[in-house]
Amino acid sequence: MMRRALSAALLGLGLLCLGVLALLSVTRRWPWPVLVPTELHADQWRELFASESGVGGVVLRSIGMASSVAILATAAGFVSSRGVARHPRREGLFLVLHLPFAVSPVVLGVSLSYFFLRLNLAGHIVGVVLAQFILAYAYAVILLSGFWNPQVQALSGLAVTLGADRTQVWLRVLLPVARPLLMLCLLQTFLISWFDYALTLFIGGGRVSTLTTALYQYFGSGDVRLAATCALLLLAPPLAAIALHQRLLSATVAARLEA
Amino acid sequence: MDLPAPDLHVQGLDVRLEKEHVLRGVTFAVEARATLAVIGVSGSGKTTLLRAIAGLIPIERGHILLGGRRVDELAPNRRNIVYLNQEPLLFPHLDLFENMAFGLRLRSVREDEIRERIDVLIGSLELHGLSGRYAHALSGGQRQRVAFGRALAVEPAMMLLDEPFSNLDPETRAGMQELFKRVSRERGISAIFVTHDLKESLRVGDRFAVLRDGGLRSFADRAEFCRDPSSGVAREASYWRMLTGSEGNESSGVGTQHVAGMAQAFANCDDDHGDK
Repeated sequence: MMRRALSAALLGLGLLCLGVLALLSVTRRWPWPVLVPTELHADQWRELFASESGVGGVVLRSIGMASSVAILATAAGFVSSRGVARHPRREGLFLVLHLPFAVSPVVLGVSLSYFFLRLNLAGHIVGVVLAQFILAYAYAVILLSGFWNPQVQALSGLAVTLGADRTQVWLRVLLPVARPLLMLCLLQTFLISWFDYALTLFIGGGRVSTLTTALYQYFGSGDVRLAATCALLLLAPPLAAIALHQRLLSATVAARLEA
Repeated sequence: MDLPAPDLHVQGLDVRLEKEHVLRGVTFAVEARATLAVIGVSGSGKTTLLRAIAGLIPIERGHILLGGRRVDELAPNRRNIVYLNQEPLLFPHLDLFENMAFGLRLRSVREDEIRERIDVLIGSLELHGLSGRYAHALSGGQRQRVAFGRALAVEPAMMLLDEPFSNLDPETRAGMQELFKRVSRERGISAIFVTHDLKESLRVGDRFAVLRDGGLRSFADRAEFCRDPSSGVAREASYWRMLTGSEGNESSGVGTQHVAGMAQAFANCDDDHGDK
């Protein structure tokens, strides 16, 4: 009962926040202390996608960058998590992997920017993607190393004795068995890049604009309504991804239970 | 017992795991279409022996020959030796049918042939009507039968069974032992069946080996064992009795019921022999 009430309260709070953002994004006049806007219009949305402000391009760039980071980090993380999980000094390796999360993103950004400047990667999308990849990769390895348990090792051995070569073990056993975890990792690493501000700012040096940095700019300029519109755009892909993930997960469970 | 010439030869097998000498100079042969029951207490090296033959762990010294051909130099997927775990491991992303068809799909067998072969196996293993089920919707006995069927489907030259029925309840276990005997006889399977249960070994084995401290301590066929209880396996069994106490010793992990079961296994030796 208590848990249900808490869930309902959290859901209500989330919906309230989204509702306020949605209202702000279509508000022309909302004088205090009136509870709801007195005048609505779609100017913010039009302005956001107007060719001169270029948010449409920023959205596409953000999606491209976050997708690249997610795919690269998940793929590299999956392969290397196996080595880390079985390494005799894995405790030490895990400590190193936690380091990017132990320091402030600002400190990490500043530290990395020194090396990225020397490598001519600062101020480029590639540099920002690479910086975000470091964070996402560490996260992916930590998340996916739990997959390599004795049961998975036994399944691989079993597949080999049934005639599978190394590639077939990966394609027919490891990847399908790890699919739910890989989906989760893709989603989480996508969000690491999608919501990143500090690394984009320090490595991008203001020349690489993403939806998150654009939101900060709108908010800094005092245009709350445009910032709210941008925030809705920022929330859309993660919400869609979470909904899709939940749907996929429930469909898989339902299909198996039905069988 | 008129069995053909030896099929699997293991010669002077040495295996080290993390600097521990687990197997020392193990030498034996398994004749084609026969089941060798390997008996031994926990930690005696039974699982290591099977995993080494399957190629899942490297061997330090020795040779493994299958049908006269050295297989210890081959990759595990090229040995045609299937290893069955103690846990009935099924691929969780595949249903029963696809689990059983796994090895055939790797070999690019035609779809209609796969269907035909798996349907026959499903019938033979009494798994009718379950082909669309996933592992979590099957009982322990059903899962073990699927794992057994999946191994049979690829028609292996040798099956290695690592205490396959140890996690099943006594009734299901007895049923599975009968099923193994029937199917292995029907299909002429060569197998090494590892168990710590002497009674089970007598039920399923044609020949017997006892592993202790990484060495093969004795080796006898069923007839020899039943004729002369003072030799080979029987001597090892006496050692077990001594170890566990004739009245059973709960603290040793082997209860009265288990020791009584072993005693009954000896008493029924002639019956079992006749049954085979």
